[in-house]
Amino acid sequence: MNSSSIIVEARSLSRVVGETSIIKDFTFAFESRNIYSIIGPSGAGKSSLLRLLNRLDEPTSGEVFFSAVPATDYSPCELRCKVGYLFQTPHLFSDTVRDNFHYAKPDLTDTDINRLLQQVQVNNDLLDHKVQTLSVGQSQRVALGRLLAVEPEVLLLDEPTSALDPAYTEAIEKTIMALVEKNGLTVIVVTHHPDQALRLGGTTLLLDGGRLVEFGSSEQIINNPQTESGRKYQARQLQ
Amino acid sequence: MNEITYIHVLKSLLLVVVAVVVSRCWKVRAEKDMVIGTVRSFVQLLAVGYALKYIFEPDLLILNILVVLVMVTVAGYTASSRIHHLSRPFPLCMIALAVGAMGTLFSLMIINPDWLTARYIIPLGGMIISNSMNATTLSVSRLVSDIRSNRLEIETSLSLGKSWHIATKNYRREATVTGMISILNFMKTVGLVALPGAMTGMILGGAEPLEAVLLQLVVAYMLLAATAVTSVVAVELTVRKFFTTHHQLVIEE
Repeated sequence: MNSSSIIVEARSLSRVVGETSIIKDFTFAFESRNIYSIIGPSGAGKSSLLRLLNRLDEPTSGEVFFSAVPATDYSPCELRCKVGYLFQTPHLFSDTVRDNFHYAKPDLTDTDINRLLQQVQVNNDLLDHKVQTLSVGQSQRVALGRLLAVEPEVLLLDEPTSALDPAYTEAIEKTIMALVEKNGLTVIVVTHHPDQALRLGGTTLLLDGGRLVEFGSSEQIINNPQTESGRKYQARQLQ
Repeated sequence: MNEITYIHVLKSLLLVVVAVVVSRCWKVRAEKDMVIGTVRSFVQLLAVGYALKYIFEPDLLILNILVVLVMVTVAGYTASSRIHHLSRPFPLCMIALAVGAMGTLFSLMIINPDWLTARYIIPLGGMIISNSMNATTLSVSRLVSDIRSNRLEIETSLSLGKSWHIATKNYRREATVTGMISILNFMKTVGLVALPGAMTGMILGGAEPLEAVLLQLVVAYMLLAATAVTSVVAVELTVRKFFTTHHQLVIEE
C-alpha cells in the first residue's frame, strides 16, 4: 500500500465506556479515493468507529491520523470539516433548504448551492422549500449535500439508506459512487446490508464485538469470508 | 397603620385550607407540599422576624454580610436541589448567585451608600437572591432538558465543523430568557395587573405612593439585572459541563 495515498489511519484505536469495550484495538489505513463498507452484527461498534474517526468521541487509547498528521493536531472543528459525518437519521435545521446550506457555510451563493444539490441529485426547485415538506429520501440527500458544502475529503456515512425505499437507495448509492469517482472523495459507509457493500464495491471491513475481524474486497468478505466470525455473519444474513 | 395580630394570621390560614381542598378535589396532589410550605413559612418567617430585630439594632456590616452569605448558600442549595440530570449543580448555582445576586446588591450599595444598612441590605438582598435563585433553577433546568433532548441536532452542528458555542447558541439563549421570564413579565405588567410587593408594603406602611413607586422602580431594575446576570452565568457554566475541550457532547445517562 502506498503510504502517500492513505488519508485516514487508525492505530490501535480503543474505546471503553463504563466497563464496556466498544472498539477494541482497531487498526486500519483508509486510502483516498476509495469506498469502504463497514459491516457487522448490531452492536459490533460500526457507528462508534465512525464517531471516533470524526472525533465526536474520544478514543480511550490509540490514535487517528488524517493525511499522516495526528487528528489531535487539528482543531476538532477543522478535522470535522475534512472528515464529514452523515448521521443515520439526518437532522435538517429550520427553515428552508437554502438555510441549511448557509448554516454549513454562510458565504455560499445560490449557484454554489444548486451545484451541490445537483451533486446529490436533488431538484434545484427545492431550494426555498421548508425542510418539513421534504420526503425522507430528499432530506437524506439534502443533508448529504449540506455536508459537501464544507468540502470534506472523507465522508463517513452511517447507514445512509436505512430509512429509504429501493429507488432512493439506488439513487444514494449512485451519488456515493459518483462522489468517489468524479470528486475524488473517500467514502466510509456503515451498512447493515451486505448487498449494498457488494453494489458499492471497494473494500469491506467486518467488525464483530468492537474488533476488526476481516477486511478485503467486498466480493471476498461477503461471499467468501475467511474467518469464523465472517462465516457466522454470512450465515445470519442468509437466514 | 392597622395592627396585624396572630389572630389575623390564623384567620388567613382559611385560605390555605381552600388551596388544599382545591388541590385534593382536582387531584393536583400538592396537599403535602402546601401543608409543609405553610408550616415552614410560618416558622421561618417568625424566626426571621425575631432574628432581624437583633440584626437591625446593632446594624454591623460584618453581620449583614454574614446574613447575605447565609441567604445565598441556602438559595444555592435550594436551586441545585431542583436541578436534575446534571452532576454537582451546587457549585455552579453558588457561583451564578454570587456573581448575579451579590454583584447586583453590591452595585445598589454603590448607587446609594445610604442603603448600606441592615434595614436595606437584608430585605433588598432577600428579594434579589430569591429571584436569582428561581432564575438559576429555571434557566439551568431548561438548558439541561434542551441539550438532552436535542442531541442529534447539536451533534449535527458539531459534525459540520461548528463549535459547541455555535451548536448550542439557540438553547443558551432560550434558557437565559426562561430564567428572566418572570421578571420580564413582571416589568411589562407592573402597575397594570398588580401593585408589586415592595410598593404595596410601603403603601400599607403609610409611605407616600410616589415614594413607594420610586423604590419599586429601583427594585424592578435591580431584579432585572440580577436575574439577567445570574441566568447568563448559570447557563454559561452549565453548558460547559456538557462539552469536552474537543467540542464533544457528553451526556451522562
